[in-house]
Amino acid sequence: MTALAELQRNFISDCLSENINSKKPLLAKDIDISLISASGLMGIYRSSAIANIIYAMKLTYPVIEKLVGEDFFRASCKKFILSHCPKSANMDDYGQEFGSFLANFEPAKQLTYLKSVAQLEWYYHLSSLDDDSKPVDWSLLSSIDALHVKLLLAPSVKLITSPFPVNNIWQMNQSNAYENKPIDISLEQETLLIIFRSGLSTKIMTVTAGEFALLLSFSKQYYLNDAIEIATAKDNTISIDDTLKKFIELNIISGFENG
Amino acid sequence: MSDINGVGLGLRHRHFKEFIVDKPDVPWLEIHTENFINQGSTSAKYLAEICQNYPISAHCVGLSLGTASNASLTRLQHIHDIKATIDWLKPSLVSDHLSWSASDEGHYLPDLLPIPYTEEALNIVAQNINQVQEVLRRQILIENPSSYLSYVNSPIPEWEFLSALVKKTGCGLLLDINNVHVSAHNHGFDALNYLGNIPKKSVQEIHLAGYSIDVIEGVDMLIDTHGHRVYDDVWLLYEKAIEHFGAIPTLIEWDTDVPELAVLLDEKRKAEAIITKVTKKR
Repeated sequence: MTALAELQRNFISDCLSENINSKKPLLAKDIDISLISASGLMGIYRSSAIANIIYAMKLTYPVIEKLVGEDFFRASCKKFILSHCPKSANMDDYGQEFGSFLANFEPAKQLTYLKSVAQLEWYYHLSSLDDDSKPVDWSLLSSIDALHVKLLLAPSVKLITSPFPVNNIWQMNQSNAYENKPIDISLEQETLLIIFRSGLSTKIMTVTAGEFALLLSFSKQYYLNDAIEIATAKDNTISIDDTLKKFIELNIISGFENG
Repeated sequence: MSDINGVGLGLRHRHFKEFIVDKPDVPWLEIHTENFINQGSTSAKYLAEICQNYPISAHCVGLSLGTASNASLTRLQHIHDIKATIDWLKPSLVSDHLSWSASDEGHYLPDLLPIPYTEEALNIVAQNINQVQEVLRRQILIENPSSYLSYVNSPIPEWEFLSALVKKTGCGLLLDINNVHVSAHNHGFDALNYLGNIPKKSVQEIHLAGYSIDVIEGVDMLIDTHGHRVYDDVWLLYEKAIEHFGAIPTLIEWDTDVPELAVLLDEKRKAEAIITKVTKKR
């Protein structure tokens, strides 16, 4: 290992140390401390790096920040960062495990819905970054044997289930929310949502059990007939024709292939 | 011949719609390349529209040119992500910093971390720059960093380190006047001496930004926050830089607490006034 490699490993280790103020930094022997201590100097870079990561997390989890408050959000992000060092220069990739972290973070444990809200925000974030689907000539579908058809979901589509009314929680915390009524999180009903991009907007839509089962089957690349069977078993009132038409018009179903 | 001339602005999210709808009179724009890696994103779509009316300079922050290993998978993946972004953006200039962000183990901190200026580091950084220029198939500019600590073993002055990199790799330089001022204050060297030792022909872009003052253990440290108007002492140093290097394309850089566009345009006018003043004197 080169001297530079060792220095850089120690630098990052110091920046992510829980004890930077009480313990002598690993880098203390390598830096000039004639005016300011090693902890003081390392603190400048540590603060800046952590602030940059927290900024990225604020952009990904704005509703979580609103729910817990700015100070608590910053403190929990800092705790998260110290045990989850980024592994990419693309900060859009960072923070997927934050919801699981909050579920096990003692000061936030009683807010049992936070993990679900974080998952929704993470999927919303990914959906905003995904590519659009390519245009499709649906007339070609008739040339494929019906038994071999697989329908494809648009790249931005994400499916999410939650024991909490996370869509209502999310909506209530948007800047354009006009209603401010309490949300009952004790309701024991599963929330089924799809998140997808429509033009320059990312949308969240509630779906029925049958619709969710249909889309989930497509996401797992089941044949169309098998997906229909699963969906109707979940909900025998589902109108497959109307459902497919709706999702194709919304570009949630964005293509097909001959399986 | 580059279409990057005059005084440009850093393009930030809050001003996207103004650049699409109003098309303010700005000769070029600079973006943070890492914000547009996902080409399908909403931001990238807005940028694609803006690119049709403005020449673009792509300023990277994550190439980590000072990382000790050029084989780090994290870093290699990022270089290829940047290449894909450059390929659709087609910027006139591409730049990054004389710094590091990723260790050889692939741990990454989103900040511009300092390099000790040793022969070992010089060879490593030169190798990394060559690698990036080879993958991107173009010259890149290297920006001088703002600095808050000195290493015990750092025998090569920063200006010599940069000059050696230009010689070894054929890279260009992006001279950040605010960073020269910040580092000169924090480390007690002469900023004019720094400018005088930078190879003239290598400077292809200048950055101007604001700093903040933090008191650390009783010592005033200038911190390169890019969140304030350019201070008078930096304007003075900029004028000296224009006298020495000529009318180099200049960017007004503002990254935090970004104000309304009118403020940036005002800073742009100040820079233009200095260029005009110096050019007339000659």
